Amino acid sequence: METSVLNRLDKTAAAFPDKVMFRDETAEITFGEFDRLTKSVGTYLAQRVPAGAPIAVMSGRHILTPSCFLGAVRAGCFYAPMDGDMPQTRLNQIIGVIRADFMLVDRAHLETAQKLDFDGEIIVFEDIRDTEPDEALLAAREKTLGCTSPLYVIFTSGSTGVPKGVITSHQSLMTYIDSVAKVLGINSDDTLGNQSPLDYIAAVRDIYFPVSFGASTYIIPKNEFAVPTTLFDTLNREKITALCWSVAGVELPAKLGAFDVGKPEYLKKLCFSGSVMPCKYLKIWQEHLPDVLYVNQYGPTEATASCTYYVVKEKVTDDTVLPIGTPYDNYHVMLLSEDNTATPQGETGEICVSGPILALGYYGNKEQTEKSFLQNPLNDNYRELIYKTGDLGHFDENGILHFHGRKDRQIKHLGHRIELGEIEETAKKIAGVTDCCALYYKDKATLYLFYVGPATSKEIVLYFRQNMPAFMVPRKLINLEALPTLPNGKTDMQTLKSYFK
Amino acid sequence: MDELMQILENLRPDVDFENETALITNGVLDSFDIVALVGELNDEFDIEIKPNNLIPENFNSAKAMWAMIEKLQDE
Repeated sequence: METSVLNRLDKTAAAFPDKVMFRDETAEITFGEFDRLTKSVGTYLAQRVPAGAPIAVMSGRHILTPSCFLGAVRAGCFYAPMDGDMPQTRLNQIIGVIRADFMLVDRAHLETAQKLDFDGEIIVFEDIRDTEPDEALLAAREKTLGCTSPLYVIFTSGSTGVPKGVITSHQSLMTYIDSVAKVLGINSDDTLGNQSPLDYIAAVRDIYFPVSFGASTYIIPKNEFAVPTTLFDTLNREKITALCWSVAGVELPAKLGAFDVGKPEYLKKLCFSGSVMPCKYLKIWQEHLPDVLYVNQYGPTEATASCTYYVVKEKVTDDTVLPIGTPYDNYHVMLLSEDNTATPQGETGEICVSGPILALGYYGNKEQTEKSFLQNPLNDNYRELIYKTGDLGHFDENGILHFHGRKDRQIKHLGHRIELGEIEETAKKIAGVTDCCALYYKDKATLYLFYVGPATSKEIVLYFRQNMPAFMVPRKLINLEALPTLPNGKTDMQTLKSYFK
Repeated sequence: MDELMQILENLRPDVDFENETALITNGVLDSFDIVALVGELNDEFDIEIKPNNLIPENFNSAKAMWAMIEKLQDE
């Protein structure tokens, strides 16, 4: 049995030393070079950092970033990736949670890193990349890792206003990667086109399909998504065979009419996830690429971003609502009703998941961890943790799971998970906002903020731009005399929703 | 042009549209800004922005966007 992802990297580096592993707009790196880099980074870190420590990583959208991640792992540590484009306040919040003593950055992010509230040591990748690997030290560090050791901590929106760091173990990641690769039929002939930011959970396939199976990944420049004709040209030039994209990313080219001028000629597999797929866009993909394997994936970060999948065999229409399907291998999925009993087949209940893919919890947050990861109430005989997703669903007579939205106020916007409560907590920090309510207009994918107070919409947007990730900035701001209320004093959200336009 | 500036200002009040000339090339506007913008421009100016129009040169500055809008209105 494998003890860590390093077992996989050792194998693929030996099997494909001269094959390209990652490519971006300007450079490429082979498996052999990548392996060597991780050993250099790992050696440098291992000489300074104890095994099992967190390493914050802030590095750009390029081929060297994955080697920073795996370099931290070579040192027996785990990594916490940070997106340097995020506002300083957000990055400081993440630093406050992860409390790392070391931050690994590429030179381009050094200045950003120096401005943060970080009192540990900042290490610049370019300064240490030529460190002579110390094989004995690396072997000793690898020995400290087991399959339940943490691999990375990725941050997601938290309703109290502080992001939550979800800890994923080596075992969880490998279980997911193997299960999804089996569904998609991933092998060393595949070339992936990476869309997701590298610090985000959705990028794990683009990083670990190469590490695990010898596939290659092309990191698509971010601004190409704004220029759909160039995007398809790029997919064809790079002979991309597989895409694991957010639903928002899959929608974009269809929405902007990219299929009117071309199509991805080499594409064989497309896995989409992150939110509900509007089938009017999937229909356009299917019409132009009828032979591609389309997979709808569902699942929360807390279960390694996955849970169930559905292979789309039918031709969809504008009104098709895709099921979320059946559990991946080694995933156990069940539904619980409000009273913690099993939901009868056909009825709607909360989707709960258990198995080796469960996260190790929220970093440094025992209270939230215990609230979300619970003993299975249906099992009195032995310890079995489940994660309650907060999503609702029902199993049909064929055992296929269908999705019915959220129990709470979490939304999916542009492929990102957002707690509306966190938007409100942020808005309330602005001097001219006395009260507010954030709502999501799904049909138009627009984030609304209804607010009371003298602040101008410009002031509010500027504050959000300076303090929150771009996807959390409200697009429509509506100033009200007072928020409408229900007889019980709570905000009347239905009335507010009638103001959507 | 005033109408366009108003739309841009509402979309991204943090961006200096008067002076910025590399909105796409420098990644100031992201893909989601462009999707929102294309929809609004189509509605507001009664034009149809086609994929072939979606090139950085047409969106790098407010001036370039305005030139594209005028051209599409003539068609």
